[in-house]
Amino acid sequence: MDFLLSLLEFAFGRQEQVLEALAQHVGYVVSVLVTAGVFAIVTGIVTRRNQLARELALSIASVFLTIPSLALFVIFIPLVGLGFAPSFIALFLYSLLPILRNTITGLDGIDPGVLESAKGMGLSPLQVLLRVELPLAWPVILAGIRVSSMLIVGIAAIATLVAGGGLGDFIKSGLARLPLPNSLEAIWLGTILCLLLALVIDLILQAARLATISKGIR
Amino acid sequence: MSEPLIRLESVSKSYGSGAEPAVRKLTLEVEKGEVLVLVGPSGCGKSTTLRLINRLIEPTSGKIFLNGEDVTDVDPSELRRKIGYVIQQVGLFPHRTIAENIATVPKLLGWDKAKIESRIDEMLELVSMDPETYRDRYPKELSGGQAQRVGVARALAADPDVLLMDEPFGAIDPITRDRLQNEFLRLQQELKKTIVFVTHDIDEAIKMGNRIAILREGSEIAQLDTPEAILSHPADEFVESFLGSGAILKGLTLKKVRDIDLHQVPTLTAPVARDQALKALQDSPDQVAVLLDDKEQPTRWIDEKALNRTSQPIEKSGRPVTVNLQPEDTLQDALTTMLQSSVGMAVVTDRKGKYLGCCTIESLAKLIMSEG
Amino acid sequence: MSTISPNLSSRTPLSERLDLIVSPIFAVILGLIGTAVWLYSDIDSITEDILAPEKLQRQLGETLVLGFSSSILVILVAIPLGIVVTRKGFPRLKNFLVDTLGLAQALPAYGLIVIFFSFMGAGITTVIFALATFSLLPVLRNTIVGLEQVDKSVIDAGRGMGYTSRQILMKIELPLSVEVIIAGIRTAIVINVGMSALAFLVGGGGLGETINSGLKLDRGPAILIGAVMVAILALVFDFLSALAQKYLKPKGL
Repeated sequence: MDFLLSLLEFAFGRQEQVLEALAQHVGYVVSVLVTAGVFAIVTGIVTRRNQLARELALSIASVFLTIPSLALFVIFIPLVGLGFAPSFIALFLYSLLPILRNTITGLDGIDPGVLESAKGMGLSPLQVLLRVELPLAWPVILAGIRVSSMLIVGIAAIATLVAGGGLGDFIKSGLARLPLPNSLEAIWLGTILCLLLALVIDLILQAARLATISKGIR
Repeated sequence: MSEPLIRLESVSKSYGSGAEPAVRKLTLEVEKGEVLVLVGPSGCGKSTTLRLINRLIEPTSGKIFLNGEDVTDVDPSELRRKIGYVIQQVGLFPHRTIAENIATVPKLLGWDKAKIESRIDEMLELVSMDPETYRDRYPKELSGGQAQRVGVARALAADPDVLLMDEPFGAIDPITRDRLQNEFLRLQQELKKTIVFVTHDIDEAIKMGNRIAILREGSEIAQLDTPEAILSHPADEFVESFLGSGAILKGLTLKKVRDIDLHQVPTLTAPVARDQALKALQDSPDQVAVLLDDKEQPTRWIDEKALNRTSQPIEKSGRPVTVNLQPEDTLQDALTTMLQSSVGMAVVTDRKGKYLGCCTIESLAKLIMSEG
Repeated sequence: MSTISPNLSSRTPLSERLDLIVSPIFAVILGLIGTAVWLYSDIDSITEDILAPEKLQRQLGETLVLGFSSSILVILVAIPLGIVVTRKGFPRLKNFLVDTLGLAQALPAYGLIVIFFSFMGAGITTVIFALATFSLLPVLRNTIVGLEQVDKSVIDAGRGMGYTSRQILMKIELPLSVEVIIAGIRTAIVINVGMSALAFLVGGGGLGETINSGLKLDRGPAILIGAVMVAILALVFDFLSALAQKYLKPKGL
């Protein structure tokens, strides 16, 4: 209980810092989700007919996820320096697989009868993609986006180690100052804020789900 | 004779070299306003042939003409918007409402909103579904039969001249299928579309088709003719075996009760005196008489034994009339009904239930035999 | 493959084969990059010191110990737990877990390691427990999902033939979910070997030390070589696990 109070005191005493770190962290989430999302979805669409291309894309995206996070963050430093750039690149590569795989699964899972009748009625291939395939695959794709967003929140904490900012800053400063006062609070704050952020993002995605998915397929 | 609406000229389709062609040099004409059924065993190429017409499959060689125009001259998507397409799995868009589904092609063709709205309601009523109830529902809320009705409504929405149907009732339970087939026939009488209908079920083909093409492997035509002609004169062994045993029984769906000479048994109208009734019975070669009520509707079968049982009034003697036939019913219905009736024959009434006569096995057989 | 539940229904022979080809290719590419850096960049004395073979060897050993210990710990806890939770009595708990464990992927491993450090002190043991906790969640989730996706009708048939619940578990459910469980183990190993790069933060050693020294002393080659080494290590383990996944699958699946 004491600790909780001290934690809240710590947080409210440094509102500017908290907000800045939070903003940076959110910045990572949004920028990576948008870019990686678009890239992964487009890749999924383009490779969906060709089995080799598709499996290759999936394998490569999977390798990125296998490479240890710290390694992926630092490997680009010689090319782009420290700070936002290497962090963004690493997070981008990490988020590809869940969205890519779900795009492919989602598009694969559409009832072939629906596609056949859409084509037979006279929708052009582009119309079929935009009006039928993507809307029907969207719930699955959105689920992939959710997984990616959770990953990003957790791993972006490491950005602090390459001067990339984010909520990891609190953890780092806390660690450096242990066992001085407020160090523990800093560590817990950084960690808990990640979880809270994840919760908020999850709620936003759930709202997005309700808003963008037709009642007919929920 | 007017130009056939659809013409296939020596059309072939093969997949890869070495494999047997799915369609081999098929030449076929479909007349305007007719229902042409393509029927044959699995894998004979009938679905492939159907999908050549709307270019879901491109022919390897040969030409296809729709209304005199070569179908390859037009952009395929545009071509398909002029043709209605109904498939077995229905394929309604699950993420769109029924109304939106039906509106698909009219929207693609750029109809104005008001016209589309009224057309949606018109189509729903055409397939006997109340627009108020169903317009805003989603496909997942429909039964199989309802879904396919919407499928048909959707195909007819843009008022195409041609309808292509690939085993449309195949995935539906037999009772609903029967009902849908009947409704569809009624619809076709009204709309007079040109329809190419694919099925593997010879009974369905006989019921639905103005002409039937029985296909062999490679979509080769074994016989192309009216159902009656095929049933009475099958072209070869293949056709015969495809018709299966009981071609005569199959033919029973083609004729109606009104074609039969009805047999007349003595009729009694209440109130009737017992000895008069007895005399009428004894004078006739039949064993039963029919008791009519004051609206001339048949109510009971009266035989001698019943009349002799003086403890009961005549109105309550004998056996009740439980089943009846109407002139529009097929001979198949007649046979079924007669077998269910307690006296081996069935009464025939008009739409209002008024007694017209009786249908007996003998009169049925006479009709069948007379056609040769 | 880290914290995602593997999509086993789409494992075509092609994807299995690619699985075994792409990782090694990347490992080789990384190795080449590392070697090129070693040979062609400016290796001054400080860098040499950072990359001293004895140091690297020790760190490698520490990484392996870390990776395996935490993996074993996780396997011993998550799999039995997963089995228990999927038994008849706990449907709500199971659903709750599957949903929230999805959220739990947002838990920063970094934060977890430091928190464990705050009450367990420095050293390798701390990191082992922290990593085990961190990777527990995805492995538990995989186990639950894997056991759930066993075809219910097969279980039904087993029960109909007279198998007890225990027999059904041992003879039907586990063999049929082996693939998913191994995928979970693979996930655990990859995460743990990967996250061990952070062990240096709390005195746990590991190859992260090299990376960190490189960062602190601004020696690019050291950073890169450290990163490449730990990446190759993770890819190698992923590859070995993929082999296990392929060859331990019951025949006929």
